[in-house]
This record gives sequence, structure tokens and C-alpha cells, in this order.
Amino acid sequence: MTDSIKSETTRRTILKTGVASAAMLASPAILRVATAATPIKIGIPTVITGGYAVLGSQVMRTCKLVQKMRGNKGVLGRPIEFLFKDTQGNPADCVRKAQELVEKDDCRLITGVVVSSEARAIMPKLPEWKAFFISHGCGDGALTTKEFFVPNFFRANTSAPMGARALALYLKDSPEKNFIALGSDYAWGRSSVAAFEEQITAIGKNLTDKIYTPVGNKDYSTYITKIMQSGAKDCYIALQGDEARGFFSQAVQYELPKRVQLMTEIVAQDNIRSLGKDSIGLLGSARYVFTYDIPQNKEFAEAFLAEYKEIPDWTDGEMYQALMVMFAGIEKADSIDVDKLIPAMENLEVTSVKGPVLMRKCDHQGENQGFVVKVAASSKYPEPVAEIVKTYSREQITPDCLSTSYKGR
Amino acid sequence: MRERLVIALIVALLCIIPLLVPTFTLTLIIEALIFGLFAMSLDLMVGYTRLHSFGHAAAYGLGAYSTALILLHFNLPLPIGIVIGVAISIIIAVPIAWICTKSTGVSFAMLTLAFAQLGYAMIFRFKDFTGGSDGIGGIPRPAGPFGLDFFQSKSGYFYLVVFCLVGSYLLCRAIVTSPFGAVLAGIRENETKTRALGYNTRAYKMSVVIMAYGFGSLAGALYTPFAGFVAPELFFWLVSGRVLIMVIIGGAGTLIGPILGGIFFMLLEQQLSEVTQLWPLIFGSTFIAFVMLAPDGIWGLLTKHFRSKRPVPGDGEDGGASRAAS
Amino acid sequence: MNFAGFIVAQSLNAFSQAAILFFIACGLTLIFGIMRIINFAHGGLFMVGAYVGYTTVLLTGSFWLSLIVAPIAVGVLGGVFERVFLSRLYARHDGGAYLMVTFGLAILLAEGVHLIWGPQPRSVAIPDMLRGVVFILNQPFPIYRLFLIGIGGAAAILLWQFLERTRAGLLIRAVSQNAEMVHALGTDVAMVRTSVFTLGCAIAALGGVLSTPLVTAFLGMGSNVIIDAFVIVIIGGMGSFLGSIVGSLLIAFVQVFGAYYFQDMALAIIYLLMLTVLIVRPGGLLGSEQ
Repeated sequence: MTDSIKSETTRRTILKTGVASAAMLASPAILRVATAATPIKIGIPTVITGGYAVLGSQVMRTCKLVQKMRGNKGVLGRPIEFLFKDTQGNPADCVRKAQELVEKDDCRLITGVVVSSEARAIMPKLPEWKAFFISHGCGDGALTTKEFFVPNFFRANTSAPMGARALALYLKDSPEKNFIALGSDYAWGRSSVAAFEEQITAIGKNLTDKIYTPVGNKDYSTYITKIMQSGAKDCYIALQGDEARGFFSQAVQYELPKRVQLMTEIVAQDNIRSLGKDSIGLLGSARYVFTYDIPQNKEFAEAFLAEYKEIPDWTDGEMYQALMVMFAGIEKADSIDVDKLIPAMENLEVTSVKGPVLMRKCDHQGENQGFVVKVAASSKYPEPVAEIVKTYSREQITPDCLSTSYKGR
Repeated sequence: MRERLVIALIVALLCIIPLLVPTFTLTLIIEALIFGLFAMSLDLMVGYTRLHSFGHAAAYGLGAYSTALILLHFNLPLPIGIVIGVAISIIIAVPIAWICTKSTGVSFAMLTLAFAQLGYAMIFRFKDFTGGSDGIGGIPRPAGPFGLDFFQSKSGYFYLVVFCLVGSYLLCRAIVTSPFGAVLAGIRENETKTRALGYNTRAYKMSVVIMAYGFGSLAGALYTPFAGFVAPELFFWLVSGRVLIMVIIGGAGTLIGPILGGIFFMLLEQQLSEVTQLWPLIFGSTFIAFVMLAPDGIWGLLTKHFRSKRPVPGDGEDGGASRAAS
Repeated sequence: MNFAGFIVAQSLNAFSQAAILFFIACGLTLIFGIMRIINFAHGGLFMVGAYVGYTTVLLTGSFWLSLIVAPIAVGVLGGVFERVFLSRLYARHDGGAYLMVTFGLAILLAEGVHLIWGPQPRSVAIPDMLRGVVFILNQPFPIYRLFLIGIGGAAAILLWQFLERTRAGLLIRAVSQNAEMVHALGTDVAMVRTSVFTLGCAIAALGGVLSTPLVTAFLGMGSNVIIDAFVIVIIGGMGSFLGSIVGSLLIAFVQVFGAYYFQDMALAIIYLLMLTVLIVRPGGLLGSEQ
């Protein structure tokens, strides 16, 4: 073969490959444009694989339940379509998936994000995407402060400062003076421990130490020993997902709960179930309480139990509430257009599975009641459940506007 | 001559892509091009000098984080931010290169890995500065200098990346076809002999590591303003592993091979991982297959018949016609 | 605060972590000694061992049985892989190729586990006999962790004696020093290599099974642990069995006490140590210059 034919072939190969690839890459996008878009699409970039996958699976199952419960009625008469994407709990992947939802799937309603750092990553991009994001479970207090506030973001759930606040109010009358705190070393964990520290010192107690465990840490032996050594009789925990499971099960192996009262910012049914009777006595704040006796919760809980034969966890309840709030906003705005949706959401009050929630205008934080619960054996269910020991009003629990503090309260 | 025609054709094709594809696909392509650049930078070490690095994520991470911090804290235009980010990474690469080239073979690979992991650890250590596991978000794309702002739009950014990729490729090609590149080839084939010929092989190896870091950090620096977000995962050894795989499958020692390998696999992964759960299995098996059966990679296979067309040291203008086939 | 009690308690924590690390590191170093390759898949094999152990417990209800089944199963898997893939690479004298093939294997193993067992972590209950705590200097310490320390120590001693005192051990040491000579003397070196690779994989799998009651079997446990294992082997000395013991202890203690005192630095300390050793004593603390 002569030189010129050789390179001719190379050139042709390259051109052919180029055109073929361009076609291959463009095709899914073309297909998508072809299908009609009457359903209301809700993007769920959540954790399907990774250390917090249990929370993501709860998000998804509640979404599917809501879809079933709403049936053909949907929202604004349009059926609901959930688009689930796996972010693995990784902020960078969450940005990518959210971008995919907005640009590829033309989906501008986002919820179901599990990890606070993921929320932090996508919030600055919301205005550029003309997207709306309502949090169901991101607890980092900073998300509704001046530093991070973005009008496209609303938080329907109880935040970490609110959870810490409820516990601190409960502990005001406790004779114990020394506390220790342990949290996961990322946005939410740090926010939670900081909030607890602020609250507990404001009522005159001591926080003898703050322990931050690396994200994804598996072996808690060092930290458990540290807690036992500290002399504190009460320990505040800010852990979720597999981290919480790991910590609690190992703590039980060290018989830590017998020596130290464990209090957690989030009481999760998943932890209760895996610990069984060892979970009895666990104290904590609850973002959603399965046993809360109001008609809206009864309706949800019964539907959930019938569908999944499992007690709904806090994520299930909060996800449900967030969706109800968002639907209410959409119906009030009569549109899913972000420019109409934002003003409709402001000052919107919805009564859902946690009681009445007010989405306040100044920082888009949902004013929720606070629940302090204690895990107790149950005669009705095969596993222990969290029983409410004290309820606090929205005004007591929700921090000052655009802040994580409770000045003067 | 024909090479230049082919390259010009490819560049022309690249230039009209933003007009052909939908926005989201453009996002994918930009990411893929950046990854292609990253892979090419590693090829300098792995393909041309046989320095197997398992820590090239360090270059990427350094470029990404330096640029992120510069753009966030100083109101500098984007191109300047990127240049400074790359400069910082190159400076940091010098002691890294010096230490790593003290060893060879497996030790070298482990040293590069150690540095990448150290980088990862440092991000957590200085979390007040770097955001720790939360990463840094809201990174802007400031306009300038001289009123330049084409890169603030997505298609504009695409052209910026293409420009950097093509420019880097031409630079790298010049490097490997120069006398410097000839010494690298010598080191690759037989370092002892090359040293016996009087060359300070350590200095050459150090230089190529720094260059690899330079181009790698450029890839990272381009990624940052595009994604608007950086996270410690950029330093993680899995990233180093992936780019190494790209170089091998694409074809080590060809520059083009890793670029194409990086681009196509990035795109394939995006499309296929939506469709099938089996993608990582396919990925891993393909990789093993290539290492075992086709160590020259895809490009190596494609160009086997046109071997005299490959950029080799001392090629110059005659297309290597004077070089005997090996 | 009881200082003596604190030191003892945290040291015991460190020993229990070292035991698990040892199971992975010793296999890695033995494989390196024989084949001069860093087996990237070692973490993946550890993970497969954990999951196979979980399934064994699920099917038979016996934790003790899983301690036998998992190492055998994974050992066989490793042996087959070595025969089919790695042995073909010896002729190439290309260290890079090994690194990459084992890296590819690591990916396959991780995905295989994901596909077969799914994304949720799998827990195994601590066998009844090993539940509860003992009190050491007034501090409660889980019996299971003591068991880990015991079994780790026993394994270390057994393997050490195997390498020092038996003919097979002698062969292994000989091959790692001078494979050609051993081959010239008539031994089937390829068989020795396969056996060592199998043994290394089996030991790693044992570590996986043992760690599951503590931290569950989860995706990513392989990649978590492989870097620590590399660090141990490099610091302890590539190819040095005693080095893997010393390295495991060192890393575990640094991690435990580092996490206690210098929370922020804990991660960095390990890599700084690795760098220092690589620079100052490239063969590792107990290794010979390679």
C-alpha cells in the first residue's frame, strides 16, 4: 500500500468514527425530546449506593408511595413522575446528576437530596438552572443562613440546630452537668455538634469534648473508649446511615449505653431495628415520629405499613412532608415555574405528618415542632419504637431568621 | 504533512460540535475532553518513559484546588486564575518529582500513590481552608483580561478546553519528538544503558514528571470553573487508577491514544451506566483484556500498520522513513 | 481519668485493629516476596471473603464454618486467577503489567460483589460464645476483639513457624530470594507461586470474615483497606513477613492514638510515615533493598 492510501484510510476512519460517535452521543437526547412532557417531573438525586444508601432507599420508597397514593389525580391534574439518580453521597456527583436532570431531562423540581454537603454544592447553581430545590432531610444549619441563602432553596425539614435545641431544652432540668459530643466530620455533623454546644452551654452545662469522626469511618473503638474515659454521663451523637449503625452496634459491644446515656440528634427506626432490644433507653430528638397521633400521620402511617410492612423511618416521614409542602406550593402557584413557585411557597402553611409547618419567608426554613423521644419496647409492634416524651412548639425550636442561633431565648 | 491535515480536520470537527449537540451532551463532551487531556499528561510518564504512576490524581487535584482557591478569593480573570493554578501545581510538583525519582519501578509507583493520598489527607487537615469533605463550591468564572468573556457560556468554555487540549497536544508532541524525547525513549527502553551513555537520567525523569504534573494540573484547572465545585475525591487513588486505565486502553506512548481513550470511555461510561449495571464489569474486563492481549492499546492497534507515522524521536519531516521498523 | 486504664484500653483497640490489618498485609507481602508484584486486588479478595462468610453464616448458621469455607473459596479463586492471568505475565518482565491486571481484578471483584449481594451492608452477629465484655483495669472490652487479637497472634506465630521451620516455608523463602536457582534445582517454581498467591488470598479472606461482625460486610471495604495494606507493606518491608507484623502494629497504633490526640492529622501521619520510610529506607524497616 502506498503512503497516500494509508493516510487516506486513517482520515476516513477518523471521520467515520467521529460522525458515528456524534450520532451515538446525540441519540438519547433526541429520543427524550420526542416524548411528550405532560407529567410533572420531580428530580431525586439521592444516595442509592454508598454509606447513606439506607436513607436514599427510604427517599425512593416514600416517593413511590406518594405516586401511588396520588394516583391519577397527581398535582394540578397531571401525573407525577420521579426521576431517581444515584449521587453516591458525593457532592460533585450530585452537581452532575442535578445538572443532568435540569439540562437533559428538563426537570426543574429537585428534592430527596440526602447529604448536606451535596445540598451546599448545588444551591449556588439553582438560579442559573432556574430550578427549585426543597430539602427533606438536609440538616446543616448553614443552609438557611445569610452565607448560603439562595431564594430557590426551601427547607421543609427540622434542621440540626432545631434538633439540638429540642434536646437542650429537655436537658435544662436534668441534674447532669457534663456532656460530650460525637459527630460525623462533614457539614451536617459539625453543624449539629456546634448547635448542641451552643445550646448546652447557654443553659449552664459543660461540653467537655467534641469528637469528630471521619466520614465513612467503620471502627469506632477508639472513640467509644474516649467517650468512656471522659467521665461524662451523657453523650450527644450526630451520625447517620451506616455510620450510625456501626457506632451504635459497636457501642453496645462495649456496653457503652449501660454507662453513658446516649442522645442522638436523629432517632432512626433503622438503628432501633438493627439494635433490637439494645436500643431501649436511647434518647434523642426525632425529626418525624411514627407514633404521633394526628389524622394526617395516621393516614400516611397506615398506607406505609400496608405497602411496605415496615414502620416508616424519619426520612420517610420528612420526605412525605416535603412532597406535601411542595405540592401545596405548586397548587397555590398553579404552576411549576420557579418564578411563580417561590412567592407561592413563602409563608405557606401546611399541616402534614408532623403537624402544621410554616415555610417562613425570611430564610425559607420550615417552622416545625420539636419532639424529644425515648425508645421503648412496644406491645403493638415486633420492634421497639420511639415514644414522645416532650413536644416543643415551632416558635421555641426554630432559630432566628437567617441564623442558627436563638438570641435571647 | 498529512498528520497536520488530520489534526486540522479534527480541530475543525471539534469546532462545529457545539452547534450540533444539545446542551447536556456538550457538558459531557467538555468533561470528556478534560479527561482526555489528563490522560495524555500521564502518557508522558507511562508511555514515553515507562514511569508507572499510581498517583496522578495529585496533579489533577492540585490544579483543581489551586485554581478554585485563586478564583474564589482573588478577583482575577479566569485565564489568569488557571495559569496561576497550574503554576502553583508545577511548583509543588518539583519536590514531589525529586523525591519520587529517587526510586524506580514499584517503589516509584508507591511513592506517587503516597503523595496523592497525602494530598487527600491534607485537604481534610486544612479543612477551614479547603472545606474538607464538603469541598468548595460556588466557584466563579470571572471575565477578562481585555474584556474576554466567551468562556462564560458553555460553548465558549468548550472552545477554551479545545484550545488547551490541542495546544497541549502540540506541545507534548514537540517534546517527545525532540532530542529530549529521544532520551526519554532511551530511558524507557534501557535506563542503565542510557545512563552509561552519560545522560543524567534522574534529571530527565524529574523533568518529565514535572511536565506531566503541569499538563495534568491544567486539566484539573479547567475542570474547576466548569463544574464550579471541587471535592477531595479528586485526589483519590481511584481517579489515578482510572486515568492509568485510559492510557493503557487508549494506547500508551502515542499521546493521541490516551486522549481518545479518555474521551470515548468517559462518554461510553455516561451512556452505558444509565443503561446497564454491568458497566464496571465491562470496564474492568476490557482493561484486563487489553493488558494481557493488546498492550499497545486501541490506538496502538490502529496504527500498527502505519507505524512510521507515529511521532517518534528524531522523526522530523521525513515521516520517519529513515527509521527502521522495530 | 485513669491513665493506665486509658493506655491499656486504647492499646487493646489498636491490637484488635492490627490483627485485621495483619491478615491483609501478610498475604500482600508474601505475594510481593515471591512474585515481585503488588496485588491491587488484595482488598477486593478481603471483601469477597467477608461476603462469602456472610452467606455461609446465612446458609448454615455457623460462624465457625465460615472461617473455613471463605478462605478456601477465595483461595481457590485467587489461585485460578494467578494461573490463568498472572502466570502469563512473568515472561514479560514488566512490573507495570501486573499492577494493572491486579487493578483490573480489583474492579471486577468490587463489581461482582455489588451485583451478587447488592448495595446494602450485610451484618453477621457475633457468635454467642464471644459476646459480652471483660473488664480490664475497670474498663469494659469486648470479648470478640480479644478473640481477634488472639487469632491474629496465633496466625502470626503459625505462619512464622511455617516459613521458618517447614520445607514448604523454606521453598517459599528460597523462591523469593532467587527463583532461577530454585528452578534450576528442579523445583516447580510456578507451583510455588500459585500456592503462595492462593495462601495470601485465603489469609486475606479470613481477615474479611473476622472483621464482618465488627464493621459489617460492605461495598468499598476493599478499597478502604488496600491503601492501609500498601502502607504497611512498604513501611514494614516489601516481602518481609515480620515486617508485615511490625507494620500492622505500627499503623494500628498510629491510627488509634493519632485519632485520639491529633484528630486532624491522623490521616496525614500515615502517609507521611510511608513517604519517610520510602525515602530514608526504601526497602522498608525490615525489608532488604530491592
